Amino acid sequence: MFNIDFTGEFAAFFVFSAIMICGAVLMISLEKVVHMVVSMAAVFLGLAGMFVLLEAEFVAFVQVLIYAGAVSILMIFGIMMTKHQGAEREKAKPLHEALAAIGALCLFGVLFYAIRSTTFPEPAPFQAGEDNTMAIGELLYTGYVVPFELLSVLLTVAFIGAIVLAKKEAD
Amino acid sequence: MPPWLNEPITWGSALVLFLWAVVFLFIVLGFVTYAIYFERKVIGWMQLRVGPNRVGPLGLFQTVADIFKLLIKEDTIPRKSDRLLFVLAPALAYIPAFTVLAVLPYSQNLYFADLNVGLLYYVALSGISTLAIVLGGWASNNKYALLGGMRSAAQMISYEVPLVISVVGVILLSGSLNLRDIVAAQDGGWFWNWNFLPQMIGFAVFLIAAVSELNRTPFDLPEAESELVAGYHVEYSGFRFAFFMLSEYVYVYAIAALTTVLFLGGWHAPAPFLEFVPGIVWFLLKFAFIVFFLFWIRATFPRIRVDQLMGLGWKVLLPVSLLNVFLTAVYMELFIK
Repeated sequence: MFNIDFTGEFAAFFVFSAIMICGAVLMISLEKVVHMVVSMAAVFLGLAGMFVLLEAEFVAFVQVLIYAGAVSILMIFGIMMTKHQGAEREKAKPLHEALAAIGALCLFGVLFYAIRSTTFPEPAPFQAGEDNTMAIGELLYTGYVVPFELLSVLLTVAFIGAIVLAKKEAD
Repeated sequence: MPPWLNEPITWGSALVLFLWAVVFLFIVLGFVTYAIYFERKVIGWMQLRVGPNRVGPLGLFQTVADIFKLLIKEDTIPRKSDRLLFVLAPALAYIPAFTVLAVLPYSQNLYFADLNVGLLYYVALSGISTLAIVLGGWASNNKYALLGGMRSAAQMISYEVPLVISVVGVILLSGSLNLRDIVAAQDGGWFWNWNFLPQMIGFAVFLIAAVSELNRTPFDLPEAESELVAGYHVEYSGFRFAFFMLSEYVYVYAIAALTTVLFLGGWHAPAPFLEFVPGIVWFLLKFAFIVFFLFWIRATFPRIRVDQLMGLGWKVLLPVSLLNVFLTAVYMELFIK
């Protein structure tokens, strides 16, 4: 069942998945909002590590830059600017929680069984390319230049719209 | 992707990697110790003072004594602070500072990671430190610390944009995000092949934005002593405070090395007849000059106001760096292609 060589990749995979799962569980179970954002940043970092293992370095570090950096800081700013006093505490619902746990376990069992019992076709040897960053760049500015420009326009419109809304509230 | 990642890992190879990391950590700590000493001496001389001169010959052990003092100080955590984040923030500030050093090449053969997105790696990870500063300021539950943290985050985000865009010109010229390839592209024998002359505008923007990213004078508003007591680390003492200071100086190291690599030709000699000198010597000379330059700025410039700071970042540096990208692209299109 565990016929796997103990490579650095294998060790790194387990470290990153541990970071992601812990972060996700903490994100749900913690009570203070700022703590939740920090654990979510941990999930983003673990995900970036996974991208590195898949040899998608560009996506990995853009993930760190945008999600772990910019989005997390933006959320923390938002939380700091608003009231964050009362840690939210819900009433315990034992029956509901037990049913949810059973459902989650069943889902896990089905998925695990399905994945273990499926025989995958031997994958073609994966060609990551010498420099996939350059490949992404070239595709983005040749084949996909119109969607790329349209997206830029969309983001610019969203950006200007946000400024206009904020200005309206300030006046 | 380093080849060892796909090979079976043995205790031996893991140990070798770990020991290299430890050796490098001690080199960096040595640099930080003597950078602080050097900074105080240089600023002292520029202001017609003597600087530290009591502890050890010429005051050489002053920083060692200071660090020892910080380590044996009582470690206080304010009662109403957010304990978990208060403890986490200094580590979160230091880890990215140390990890960005992995991609910096020192000479043709001396480098740690040969990453094809080295520059992006540096920019992405250094952004995490901002998160640590905001968290540290917030977790202290102190209004000065919070203000310092907010200022710091605003400043680092506003200056990261021109910093990254100013480097785009260099990336266009060398056609790679790999820092080793960027240095290799500057090899022309003479010093005018280095990027600081063809990319003069980018170099100027990069230097200003870099000083601001480091939160140093004249952009040290996050820790403006006269208005904010000390900034985001008011409540920190002992070794947690030392960690914040350490990461600041490790970023000085990183920025000085990055400037050398991107704009000053890395390990290349300034003239062909000087090439018998090993590349690492040239690298260290340029690196030392940049570090000295940072201290020199600190000794001679007054601090700017917070509204001027944001104006400079968004209204001057950003358009200038965009103009630089445009000019470089036009030049490439007309003359190189």
